[in-house]
Amino acid sequence: MQLTAHRLRFPKQRGAARVTQAAKAARLVACAACAAWATSVTSVRIAEAQVVDFDTSHSIFYEAPTKTHMLVYTPSVDVTASPAPWIGVRGGWEADVVSGASVATKYGASYQATHAADVITAASVHDVRNMARGEVTAKGDGTSVVAGYAYSTENDYRSNSLHVSASADAFQHNTEFAISYARNFDSVCDRVQTETSPTRFVALENSVGCFTHDETRTTHPIAIDTFEASWAQSWTPVLETQLTYSAELVDGFQGDPYRSVILGEGIKGQEHEPNDRAREAVTARVAWYLRSVKGALRFSARGYTDTWNIQSAAIEAEFEKSLGESLRVLVRGRLYKQGGAIFWSDDYTGGAPPLGPRGQYWTGDRELSPFWSWLGGVRGVYAVEPQRRIFGIIESLKAVGSFNVTGYSYDEYTLGGIPVSDARAYLATLSLTLAF
Amino acid sequence: MRKRTPAASASTSDGPTMRAFASASRLVTLAALGSLSSGCATVAPQQRAILADPTMQFDAESKHEAGLRHAIENREGSMGGNGVAGGGCGCN
Repeated sequence: MQLTAHRLRFPKQRGAARVTQAAKAARLVACAACAAWATSVTSVRIAEAQVVDFDTSHSIFYEAPTKTHMLVYTPSVDVTASPAPWIGVRGGWEADVVSGASVATKYGASYQATHAADVITAASVHDVRNMARGEVTAKGDGTSVVAGYAYSTENDYRSNSLHVSASADAFQHNTEFAISYARNFDSVCDRVQTETSPTRFVALENSVGCFTHDETRTTHPIAIDTFEASWAQSWTPVLETQLTYSAELVDGFQGDPYRSVILGEGIKGQEHEPNDRAREAVTARVAWYLRSVKGALRFSARGYTDTWNIQSAAIEAEFEKSLGESLRVLVRGRLYKQGGAIFWSDDYTGGAPPLGPRGQYWTGDRELSPFWSWLGGVRGVYAVEPQRRIFGIIESLKAVGSFNVTGYSYDEYTLGGIPVSDARAYLATLSLTLAF
Repeated sequence: MRKRTPAASASTSDGPTMRAFASASRLVTLAALGSLSSGCATVAPQQRAILADPTMQFDAESKHEAGLRHAIENREGSMGGNGVAGGGCGCN
């Protein structure tokens, strides 16, 4: 479970307090493990026949656009227990272990032509994000209510997230309505600025001193409200649809505190983006079972718009088929295209002298530029529910493996005027679920 | 959508809120009308075997897919359609 996309990018520079981070990670792991253990022990004592699910997932993400090699390892563990038929309790932990490089100073072709600067000024990225989470689900006849909380910490970012959701069936389970809401109370570290003009703001050099009493560091709050409503409908014995509306309001610092943008001759300013952003999306999905091939086709289309004038469309197709009693295989494809933010530019120089920036805001974020992307992937699911428990305790077992490749084609984004030509990302994930 | 100047893109919080609320209201109304009109097009319980098959579920492996959705959304300028729960940035 992940919060929908934040507009925040925080590449880190060398020198982060890794020992402290490791200690915090250990504490979080311990907390999550204790919560999970307490949950499972409680449920087992209350009713030994009740099921406890243990989930673990491990992902490797690797991305190789020009001169950056971002590698992210994401392990997670969740334990879910049902002390009574009407209630479920879940506790878990997840981490992102990040290493690689990212752009520290963004400039375009004109600056490169006159200054012969490096193609990319890269900063090393080493960080660990730890997240502990808990969730309670109350279930009724055709209804459910979920409430949860997640806390995550990074060298330069803190997040507190509350979420609630509810769903209800109608018309003999042919219709389902669901609504959900999440509120984030986040904060991001930044450098204390001594100048008043954003064109003179200096980028954060590293995360040392963040969230301490260091007088050179400060924090900015970020509030994120996310709302979603969906309607799923069964139309025939082989056809189902789902319509989802999503909205998000973001209020707070949304730039990259580490990244600078060349604004003019001799002027380098910290990335500067608007504080407010409202985002909306509508997603339509169709699942259609093909009796002739004993498999299901699923299509998805999403339209998106926001107040930064980014508009995008995504279409996705999946085909999944059962092979025997225990195995399912899936193939998928996805296409995505977006326009750039209204203030996006590959080169902000050339404005009015002496300060020079073109426009009120500036960013080096390639995710705000116009581009299109493709994705292809496969997934296999192996699930068994034997008549006798495995090793006397495991009631069922499910293993899921997937591999996905994404390619990006940037229309305008360059690194010093040189197009980013080999932007590929690879993601491999392996998950295991055991029910006791 | 109306093109805005960079200066105007720093909208106040009231504007986007009302805009989102209006859009949500329209969609809820549309969904309500659609669902009411679909009430007579139900599938009988004994016909739901295929609909209950895992291959027909939109989010049958949602936990496994969360990482993929997270990676996709942090490399795109958009969001939506995949739930709201979570926490943290993790967006390098």
